[in-house]
Amino acid sequence: MSGRVRTRVDRGTGEVVAYSDAAVRNNLAVIEYCRTSMAALSGGTAGLLGLTGLYGFLFFLVAGLVLWLLLLVKAGNRWQRFFVSRQSLLTSGIFSGLFTYILCWTFLYGMVHVY
Amino acid sequence: MAFVWARLAFFAGIISLFHAGYSAAQHRAYMRVTEQEFTSLPTDISIQGFLSLLMAMYGILYIAGDFKEIRANVQLQNKSWETVGNRPTFYTFAHRGRALSPNYSPPKATRSPLDPIDSLAAGPHHQE
Repeated sequence: MSGRVRTRVDRGTGEVVAYSDAAVRNNLAVIEYCRTSMAALSGGTAGLLGLTGLYGFLFFLVAGLVLWLLLLVKAGNRWQRFFVSRQSLLTSGIFSGLFTYILCWTFLYGMVHVY
Repeated sequence: MAFVWARLAFFAGIISLFHAGYSAAQHRAYMRVTEQEFTSLPTDISIQGFLSLLMAMYGILYIAGDFKEIRANVQLQNKSWETVGNRPTFYTFAHRGRALSPNYSPPKATRSPLDPIDSLAAGPHHQE
């Protein structure tokens, strides 16, 4: 029901904060879902726009940044209730969708611009 | 209700993305037929691609599910002592309150699962 509980010492105030393991894993699953979808969709858009070379990888980084902003918008102004840190939300697993991105990028580039 | 709007935004974004791709392919074919050099896509197709990507992503954010509160004490705050202190192993059903109660009458028919079926069916007649 409530599952295991992990504790972590807050650096600012020095008090111990307990996190629910099940809720943390649920949030990570939601973020992973969004990241995979974003990789596929932004790869499709990059192929549609006809980006080649480094511009495509730049677009991937921009898409990761946009996804971060969208997740913060979804979390609202009380993001501390859902995530341990905002920076790790941006950087963790940003390259996990790279191969999905390249797959959709090359596929749609071939569909639109080559054939 | 928000879920329906998220799905609508997602599907509209995907369809718009396909439309932008089809427009880009058409533009590419037109440039090939008229023997002009392809330099870049028209601005409206690029803008449509960006906007439909944003729209589809906005839909996916809400399709993916809700975030949960990660601080553990918040989950426990809503529970009463009856929920947290529940210990089914220590339930007592046959306690001395039976003997102390003035208006307790013992159950009429006490049936065991080992009794034969016909005695179960004829149970009330034996009691008469």
